[in-house]
Amino acid sequence: MELHASSAFSFLEGASRPEDLVSRAKEAEMPAIALVDRDGVYGSPRFHMAAKSVGIRAHVGAEISVEGFGNRAGLPPWMPNSHCSRPVRLALLVESRTGYQNLCRLMTRYKLREKEKGTGTATVEEIAEHAEGLVCLTGGEEGVLAASLSNSGYDEARKNIEKLTALFGKRNVYVEVQRHCDPIEERRNQAAVRLSETLGLPLLATNGVRYARPAERELLDIFTCIRNHTKLETAGRLLERNDERHLRSAQEISQLFSDLPQAIHNTGELSARLKYTLAELGYEFPRYPVPEGETMDSFLRKRTEEGFQNRYAAKRDDALFERAKRQVERELALIEKLHLAGYFLIVWDIIRFCREQKILVQGRGSAANSAVCYSLGITAVDPVGMELLFERFLSEERGEWPDIDLDLPSGEQREKAIQYVYQRYGQLGAAMTANVITYRDRFAAREVGKALGFDQETLDQLSSVVNSGEWRGPSDTFENHFQQVGFDLNHPRVRKYWELCERIQDLPRHLGQHSGGMVVCQGQLDSVVPLEPATMPGRVVVQWDKDDCADMGIVKVDLLGLGMMAVLEDCLELIPKHYGEPIDLAQLPPDDPPVYETLRRADTVGMFQVESRAQMASLPRNAPVKFYDLVVQVAIIRPGPIVGKMMHPYMRRRQGKESVAYAHPSLEPVLKRTLGVPLFQEQLLRMAMIAANFTGGEAEDLRRAMGFKRSEERMHKIEAKLRSGMSQNGFDPETQNEIITQITSFARYGFPESHAASFALISYASAYLKFHYLAPFTAALLNNQPMGFYSPAVLVHDAQLHGLRVKPINALQSEWNCTIERTARDGKDIPCLRIGLRYVHGMRQYAADRIVSERQKHPFEGIEDLIRRVPELPKKDLVTLSEIGALNSLGKEMHRRTALWQVERAARPARPLLDTIPEQMELSPLQQMTDEERLVADFHGSGMSTGPHPMTYCRAALSKLQVKRACDLSRLPDGQYTRVAGCVIARQRPGTAKGFVFLSLEDETGISNVIVNPDLYEKYRVVINREKFLRVDGVLQNQDHTISVKASHVQPISITAAETRSHDFH
Amino acid sequence: MQAVVRLEPELQGKPVAILAGAPPLTKVFAVNREARRLGVETGMTKVQAEAFTGIVWRWRSPSQEATAYAALLDCAWTISPRVEEGVRREDQDFSDTAVLDIAGCEKLFGSPEKIAQDLKRVASEVGFETNVAVAGSPLAAVCAAQGFAGVTVIPSGEEGLRIGSLSLEALRIPFEFIETLKRWGIRTCAEFAALPEIAIVERLGQEGLDWWRLARGAEVHPLIAKEFPSHFEEYMDLDSPLELLEPLLFVLNRLLEQLCARLRMHILAIGEIKVILTLERNDSRSKKPVFHSRTLRLPVPARDSKLLLKLLQLDLEKHPPSLPVTAVRMLTTPVKARSQQLGLFLPLSPDPERLEITLARIQNTVGENRVGAPVLLDTHSPNSFQQKRFVLTEMKEKRPITKKQTTAAMRIFRPPIAATVEFQEGKPAFLGCDGARRRILAFAGPWKTKGEWWSETAWARDEWDVEVRTLRPTIQPEGSRGSEEETALYRVYKDLCAKRWFVEGIYD
Repeated sequence: MELHASSAFSFLEGASRPEDLVSRAKEAEMPAIALVDRDGVYGSPRFHMAAKSVGIRAHVGAEISVEGFGNRAGLPPWMPNSHCSRPVRLALLVESRTGYQNLCRLMTRYKLREKEKGTGTATVEEIAEHAEGLVCLTGGEEGVLAASLSNSGYDEARKNIEKLTALFGKRNVYVEVQRHCDPIEERRNQAAVRLSETLGLPLLATNGVRYARPAERELLDIFTCIRNHTKLETAGRLLERNDERHLRSAQEISQLFSDLPQAIHNTGELSARLKYTLAELGYEFPRYPVPEGETMDSFLRKRTEEGFQNRYAAKRDDALFERAKRQVERELALIEKLHLAGYFLIVWDIIRFCREQKILVQGRGSAANSAVCYSLGITAVDPVGMELLFERFLSEERGEWPDIDLDLPSGEQREKAIQYVYQRYGQLGAAMTANVITYRDRFAAREVGKALGFDQETLDQLSSVVNSGEWRGPSDTFENHFQQVGFDLNHPRVRKYWELCERIQDLPRHLGQHSGGMVVCQGQLDSVVPLEPATMPGRVVVQWDKDDCADMGIVKVDLLGLGMMAVLEDCLELIPKHYGEPIDLAQLPPDDPPVYETLRRADTVGMFQVESRAQMASLPRNAPVKFYDLVVQVAIIRPGPIVGKMMHPYMRRRQGKESVAYAHPSLEPVLKRTLGVPLFQEQLLRMAMIAANFTGGEAEDLRRAMGFKRSEERMHKIEAKLRSGMSQNGFDPETQNEIITQITSFARYGFPESHAASFALISYASAYLKFHYLAPFTAALLNNQPMGFYSPAVLVHDAQLHGLRVKPINALQSEWNCTIERTARDGKDIPCLRIGLRYVHGMRQYAADRIVSERQKHPFEGIEDLIRRVPELPKKDLVTLSEIGALNSLGKEMHRRTALWQVERAARPARPLLDTIPEQMELSPLQQMTDEERLVADFHGSGMSTGPHPMTYCRAALSKLQVKRACDLSRLPDGQYTRVAGCVIARQRPGTAKGFVFLSLEDETGISNVIVNPDLYEKYRVVINREKFLRVDGVLQNQDHTISVKASHVQPISITAAETRSHDFH
Repeated sequence: MQAVVRLEPELQGKPVAILAGAPPLTKVFAVNREARRLGVETGMTKVQAEAFTGIVWRWRSPSQEATAYAALLDCAWTISPRVEEGVRREDQDFSDTAVLDIAGCEKLFGSPEKIAQDLKRVASEVGFETNVAVAGSPLAAVCAAQGFAGVTVIPSGEEGLRIGSLSLEALRIPFEFIETLKRWGIRTCAEFAALPEIAIVERLGQEGLDWWRLARGAEVHPLIAKEFPSHFEEYMDLDSPLELLEPLLFVLNRLLEQLCARLRMHILAIGEIKVILTLERNDSRSKKPVFHSRTLRLPVPARDSKLLLKLLQLDLEKHPPSLPVTAVRMLTTPVKARSQQLGLFLPLSPDPERLEITLARIQNTVGENRVGAPVLLDTHSPNSFQQKRFVLTEMKEKRPITKKQTTAAMRIFRPPIAATVEFQEGKPAFLGCDGARRRILAFAGPWKTKGEWWSETAWARDEWDVEVRTLRPTIQPEGSRGSEEETALYRVYKDLCAKRWFVEGIYD
């Protein structure tokens, strides 16, 4: 067995996934294997799960960087290119649970000490403190023995090993021998054997594994190059010497160490000693502190009852009240039984904190199925009123933690909530979950290409054709991409590049931070999993990602940042301030007719969840008139309903083109609301419950079995159970098949109704605010970018089309954020929007704030005055401000070029002698900018223009070419051959559209939609992906008020050199 | 492009594209008018460009470009002894402009127009299509030659006017200034020149003022004359290796014609001519070039290309190259150069210039990259080294003698001795070498190395240290008993790519 193996979770120092190591170990018939990654146990959960599934014992360990034992053996000084030295690492194996806790604490200790990610070394004292329960190996080339032998010779090595025995105890130090067919290593082994004999320490044979199979050495070499920022050609002896560090079979190992049988024998002995596995992690969710005389259950009951009264009594519906009361009772009983009160109280506590701090918060996901969550204020959707299914959230059978996700306004407010959790449970009691960044298409192509020595230009070209979107058609292979950029695939180097890009996919690159997942622990989280500092100051991250945490039974609370929540929150402040009207999101007029009319017109740019191209295409068909229609709308444009072929039947029934029918009459109550078409996960669960007599828990189990991690065996079992249940209830085989198809295709991607309802609430709020309060809504949207589907330029243009006056950036008026001003139009004082200085490219907030504070003291007298009083403004900012016309109001007859002319002089520091010489020319000799130049400058300097749309300038020429405007299309008959043109604002290739590409072209009158079939896309791929303005010829499709052009020809058009931006393939 | 077409005049009028970059990163480096018309653009990859039919492909050759530029300078020297190399753009290896001072040449050659026309004609004789411009200042002339096609003569004082219509890029102003000027809406030199002087100094500083003056055509810059070359050289890379003498003679003829034309311009003749043929390598893994060099010393100076060709033909028939020829270099020493007398007091030690010449000569004999000090390469591959340029340095630093580590020393056989190794039960048992089979008494290994898996030069080898009866008693250190019965330690290895065994060396 192998007791010293590293995986790719040693981040760029190993080349195989833990799962691959396990499967190779299984092939080699090993009974046990130890994963010893560099400074972490990142891969251990996966390793543990994989090993468990094939019946191999997975030992836990890590290589710890230490100081006090010198640096790793470097290259001899007479060789060229000696490389920088790194501290030696101790390979530690976990013997007992104490050992595991010590290992985690030790790593946390030295990692949190460092400011930077991925650094840190343990001191000898720290090791001494945490040595109990750990077994130390003397290591391979990275270890203490190799370093001391090579740096200072045998005697020093002996001293260091003695030091280790003093730290860990004689019984717990093994002298390691490895054989990779290297004479220097063999010399080391001879010394190791001598040491083990003289010091009486056991020898241990390992292979210092870095990859599962010999061929993976190539990947390790690539990783080495990436780590050292070099190329294969120049990496020299940083690369592997040969490919011997793979997982060897027992036979190979015994042949290799035939002269040292004791070393092999000791592996078995040591493995037997290592009793600990991750199965006994010892995690415990924290207990919520309750007042004396209360239990957590009683406390939760009281809080729930308080909330229940508030929520349901106000509805004045006795039947609902009674039903809700029963439901809450049932839920509380189950929570009590499953000992989950603490979890609910902790989430309630976070909600309470947010309310106190006036932070907008709303639970999403399956939690909205729970009446307790609704009563506690965690969610905003009434599950009883909406007849949602509690079992989707929590069931007795499942034996898992429930999952509550909270949406918070992105940015500072969410950070406040996160910091509250840290503060409440202590730095070592709470942490964010990690997000393992793996190699994906574009990233893989770039890094592998760099290592292979391809030039930057070629790599850029390749990146531009590699789609990172979700749809991967048959043409989206690296092979194809390589051909597109003109690579000769017959060339061995190119072939190797291609092959490596394929092989490197999904291997971990580094550890990031999950956007909002937090784990908390009773007692010390650092004894369960090591903690690390995150790149973001003040954040701590665990070494496992959220799936690993779930696999290990660690409960998490997701505190997710939602841009739209921040927008809503900003609106709550802006509307009363500028309109003098109070606004309460909970009290918005329900089912406001003009809002629904806007939605039906698909006039939804900037609205939450319904602004995407696909949503816009389906809104006129679905034609929402009430809130529940919006719930369906949010849920229906999802891979589940589309792949499960539910979308079209629903739409047809909705439009009355198809009659409403049910697979079986007994399903009518479940499917009635969605016209007989199952759209939500809850409906599937209910179908299984009604058709096959499943309990709620069993039904949820069924959904999980059909979910992402499908297991054939489990699915067959459940299917059999479904069929037998349905047969009992008298369903004929045909109906049974229909229901089973619906369930299987759907369970995987379906959306929970509760989640859709939570989202629909936000969608409605955003639509309402956009319709009634366009200025504050647009300001809030612009102040919370990046978010949503469209670029700021598109949002501004859309607002202008809706009648909002948008004023450009002005150094005398603009603040950091976009603000609302009043302007007179038609004798009325109406609100308008002023773009903020945050949109000046490259500008820092402190400089903007200084401009604002200085001009509040007294206005600037001119450009020189501005430069003198705001020294924080660098020249490049001044140039940008001049270019976009933001300084025009600083002088008489000042235009952009005059400002540039003055800035250039004023920003050039003159010597004292010349300082007092005044400017000789009052105005500049420079010409004013042309319209085109202004447009280019606006987009270059601020990413948008408040002036006319670029297409306006060439409309006359385009009209001669028979190019139609976006607003003209609705008047054209279906099937007419037409021609449109515009700025590409979005390119979409949804996973469900079989390779079809959807383009949105914006002109001065609105947005026209273009559909490109896969063949045409292949033909014009480079043009479609790269050009900013396109002209498209094709047949107009005007079906059910959804208008699009089916492209038959695409060509680039030259409108402006302005750097417009598009939202691509997300 | 011109460097290629000059040596292959038959390509004129045909679409030609020049490729550069090692495969697989080969890209189109330059295209002529005809090729551009067909749609080929610089920067395309080879595969993309190969989609076009009817294009003549040539590989870029920096050596060929260097000799072409030398030829251009020659043309300039025919008019004036004061010739300066033109400004080289950052992305160029060689300049493409020559500047000459024609002040005072009118009496010899006529009006500036005539001189310009003559220059253009002379250049076309050596195969160049050139733009010639005459102006009051060197940089103005360079700008005009870059910006206007054909012959341009700018009357004195009108430089500003004529240059004015050129874009700012023609002045080769640094990028940062261009950026600022474009922001100001300034596109041409005239617009730039129209800005007030003080305002320019205030905004763009002294450097900006220099460029402003240039835009006005008022720049004054002393011409730094280049020295006349001591030898003439022509070089040509062949697209496909030539095996027969006859096609090779065509190539030699072209080069000779060029050389003779250039020498004729300076009324010089050939005293000695040297032809260096680069030969195709047999072994693709070896990177060392193979040369075949012939030198002809002429009893009477000559510049008749036909005569010279004949002499070369006779010589090459007698001493033909052993392998196909991939490139030809032709060096001539003009007779006048040899007549120069050396100084009275010659330095005792070689001065750096002479050392350079000597090194260059040695390099011409042994081949490029084969002269210098050997430096170990950073690789696991044994015996890898490269030649670093030899530089005379003061021996300041003496490596301190640190404590010696007693490791065995090994003498390497170069080249390694081919051998066979027989295995019994997975262990090496017999070594066959020099026609004898010896029992392996003891062994250690295998020591495995494997590298460069990403390239065609991938290598892998298994080494063993073996003890056998002595192979070659003669190479033992003196004083030891040279007995056949004595054992010695050898390193043998198997080249896993070639699947062959070798004895690499003996341990002392």
